Amino acid sequence: MKISLDWLKDFVDIDLSLSVLINRLDMIGMMVEEWEEKDSDIILDIETYANRPDTLGHLGIAREIAAALGLKMKKQEWPLVELEQKTSELCDVQIRDADLCPRYTGIVVKGVKVGPSPDWLRKRIEAMGLKPINNVVDVSNYVLFSTSHPIHAFDLAKLAGRKVIIRRAKAGEVIRTLEEEDVILTSDMLVIADEERPVAIAGVIGGLKSSVQGTTQDVFIESAYFNPVSVRKTSKKTGISTDASYRFEREADISFPPQAALMAASILTQFGGKVSKGIMDVYPKPKKEKTVILRYQRVFGLLGLEIDEKFTEKTLSHLGFRLEAQRKGVWQVKVPHFRVDVEREADLIEEIARFYGYDKIPVHFPPLRVPEPPLDEKREKIEKTRQLLFNHGFDEVLNFSFADPEREASFQTGREAVEIRNPISQKASILRTTLLGGLLDNLVWNRNRGAEGIHLFEIGNIYFWQKKKTHEQLTLAVVATGPIGPAHWQRKTKEADFFHLKGALESLMSYLRYEPFSFKKTNHIFFEEDSSLALAQKGETIGHFGLLKKGLRDRYSIDGPVWAAELNLEVLFKKKPQSFQYVPVTRFPTVTRDVSFIAGQDVTFQDIKEAVEKLSLPYLASFDIYDLFSGSSIPKGKTSLSLRFEYSHPERTLKAQEVDKLQKKVIDTLKKSFNFLLREGGKIDK
Amino acid sequence: MKDLKARIEKLKRDFDKALSGVKDEKSLQEVRNIYLSRKRGAVKLLFEELKALKPEKRAQAGQLVNSLKKHVVAKVSRLKVKLAASKPGVRARKGDLTLPGVRGYWGAPHPVVLFQQKIENIFIAMGFSIEEGPEIETDYYNFEALNFPPHHPARDDWDTLYISDDLLLRTHTSPVQIRAMERRKPPIRIIVPGKVYRRETPDPTHLPMFYQVEGLAVDKGITFADLKGTLEHFLKTLFYEKLKIRFRPSFFPFTEPSAEVDIECLVCKGKNEQCRVCGGSGWKEILGSGMVDPQVLKNVNIDPEQYSGFAFGMGIERTAMFAYQIPDMRYFFENDLRFNRQFSIK
Repeated sequence: MKISLDWLKDFVDIDLSLSVLINRLDMIGMMVEEWEEKDSDIILDIETYANRPDTLGHLGIAREIAAALGLKMKKQEWPLVELEQKTSELCDVQIRDADLCPRYTGIVVKGVKVGPSPDWLRKRIEAMGLKPINNVVDVSNYVLFSTSHPIHAFDLAKLAGRKVIIRRAKAGEVIRTLEEEDVILTSDMLVIADEERPVAIAGVIGGLKSSVQGTTQDVFIESAYFNPVSVRKTSKKTGISTDASYRFEREADISFPPQAALMAASILTQFGGKVSKGIMDVYPKPKKEKTVILRYQRVFGLLGLEIDEKFTEKTLSHLGFRLEAQRKGVWQVKVPHFRVDVEREADLIEEIARFYGYDKIPVHFPPLRVPEPPLDEKREKIEKTRQLLFNHGFDEVLNFSFADPEREASFQTGREAVEIRNPISQKASILRTTLLGGLLDNLVWNRNRGAEGIHLFEIGNIYFWQKKKTHEQLTLAVVATGPIGPAHWQRKTKEADFFHLKGALESLMSYLRYEPFSFKKTNHIFFEEDSSLALAQKGETIGHFGLLKKGLRDRYSIDGPVWAAELNLEVLFKKKPQSFQYVPVTRFPTVTRDVSFIAGQDVTFQDIKEAVEKLSLPYLASFDIYDLFSGSSIPKGKTSLSLRFEYSHPERTLKAQEVDKLQKKVIDTLKKSFNFLLREGGKIDK
Repeated sequence: MKDLKARIEKLKRDFDKALSGVKDEKSLQEVRNIYLSRKRGAVKLLFEELKALKPEKRAQAGQLVNSLKKHVVAKVSRLKVKLAASKPGVRARKGDLTLPGVRGYWGAPHPVVLFQQKIENIFIAMGFSIEEGPEIETDYYNFEALNFPPHHPARDDWDTLYISDDLLLRTHTSPVQIRAMERRKPPIRIIVPGKVYRRETPDPTHLPMFYQVEGLAVDKGITFADLKGTLEHFLKTLFYEKLKIRFRPSFFPFTEPSAEVDIECLVCKGKNEQCRVCGGSGWKEILGSGMVDPQVLKNVNIDPEQYSGFAFGMGIERTAMFAYQIPDMRYFFENDLRFNRQFSIK
């Protein structure tokens, strides 16, 4: 809200330097965001709040300053040159829908010479950043910016039948506004109408036809209170927002319409106007002032500070509240109508604190009476996941939750996307159903800027409809391409590949104690055929990973392979991790047995692993594959694989024969199950 | 016994001979193992033999075996030192030792998460726990329960992205206050980090999605002084101890009284009227806060006559931008690794 310092001085004598004034205003919550010098005046730009429509005019800001500085408000006089005729003889006001218009006042000013405003008025209008139009329009604006109360001036001659009817519009009625725009009205909108047609959208904008023009002689001044919700709905629906609607929708001062009308009429007499006798004031059910009980002990209870009772009384009185002591430490407070924001005790306590000064409230730390619960498991797991992925060389990214529906479609996630009804743009009009879209954007961004090795992960929600409800699913996605880490003069840099990604996921599952987990060969829509696996834990699929499909890479114009994964962390994290049990470290030697086989290439490691696990060999501490090759020394279509078995016993040294027996069992099983041939010393042993 | 003595003498001679041929550590180890291996070394085998002797002879024989052991141990260790000193490989590498070492390579956290955790940790130390809530919210939790009446212009300050009439993308983390208070009885002391959404076109200081941290404390006797104490401690820990802070009246529908928290401009410290960071005011808005509005407490069936509370909220990117002098909020979501990695790894 623009506030002119000169204008403020009409209401209160301010004798402060600008910087002191600004600081004072800031500290009572009337934040001065900017200020400028203009025509030997200072124009402040003050931040105002949705609950303080009274501060949308100079009068309201002046009240605040007067209270802050302990100054008296100046009395303003609005003398009238009156006609013999009564207002009621010149026009007729009828409220048909009092629920939307509980108070309507009007007065007629006859014989106004419409023309350019005098300098003092022009200057004020210009100070508000507006262009002066003519004296009548400028006076309306002057009253609005002065008192925050909007008024409207009609050309009385253009009101058919001299009637002013406040009613809901008939559906389909049309009004051409001051902005020369035709608005089709609906039956929930309140209008001001004459005998024939609507002449203004109540509280929002006037009609063109009834507006004050150069030829206007007699002016009907409207000053009313319109229902804030109704004004807001109409303003939203018509898309018309004006200085008037902005104030009415925040709620006007219901006690103020006569004063605003008289003020306008008084100024118009400066332009030859004469004012009808007796203001027309239709106010069928006068509103009572709100009453709030204020307890001194509660002031202390909420602020943590003893504030002098006298200060409380003085401040609130200054602000226009009327206090009546009920008993010691308890007041009944009558709230002036212009303070639409004050309804409860807490609202009054804020007023006291505001003028006492937030800076004078002490600093204290609240005692902790009951401990809070520890970090929940989900957060702990997310944190472990992040740390593990950092250790594997993946960078964390965060992307917007929005997605472009067209591009999202290329992922064919099969998830029903959540659409945004009023998106910022078409390209951000749904919520993502996969994290990979964002990650691929990031990959492209970095590659276009010269990065070669790009290894990224994101943990965040994807969103979709599930059983008619929106679902937010915590998800992890990874993309990887190129060298891992910078080139080194001595060591060869590793490249991202399938097993780099798989290893990271295996480590993750182990680190989170989600063993045993398994991998299944399946084809997935994101990946090239036979180039991906599903990760499963206890039979439930957690996600998929592999070589990103060429179609998707093309969509993002990415050359070269991209390894990617997407895991459903919601499902995974709900699973119970393997409980931890300490196992004593054996003090006895571990026996290692290596064995090499010639195997058919159709046998997978997973098959071998399962077969070995199925044997449940006693003392088998670990089992792994440590070498794998095929080539000239191996029969065509076969592979040489070397397995390592480690046996140990917690309480004694294992005997060679024992281990031999176990090892034979494994070898026999593998030979039988998979047609393996034992390979020893380079020879094939049948 | 004589027989044993002779054997030991021979073993010593054999050892000395073998040792004289030793040129490197590997062969030294081999020679050593012949005598000292725990399983099959000569010393071990001799001790095994001693077990068969009568106790009175065993002591003397033991001394003889020990003399062999000492002889071998001493010579091996002496030669070991000598070999170590003379071998050329004692130098790490011939030539330039200033070449870069092999650094570990690891990924970097996103700066927003990093900053969020920094904030979380300060509050955790003050006894706060962490709560979360859905990003797709109902009008009730996002607005109505927080004392925004339907059709109130206050809603305009929170430009909203809607899914349907009732569903929206939460415009602040404040709905989690309501959810937490519905679920738990006071005392409550929580912070709520998370994504929030506004219908804003991206520009250097606005994004349609950003991160917030919300805080809430509800208990008997919580005062505005407690709010000040908590936030001052937080800000001084996050920035520095001598940070200037001011609380200034403001308006939020869900707090009463409400306060905006400003901190001194970290760039000009209020000394530059042309400062582009603070616009010359010397202050920078950092937090919104206030005492929980009694209506909000009533909405979750907490009696405002018995309990009071404070709440606060801050934007993570905004705060990080101010802390690190980052000129454009969009950088956080470009995910340029040259930007992201700076915050933890150089």
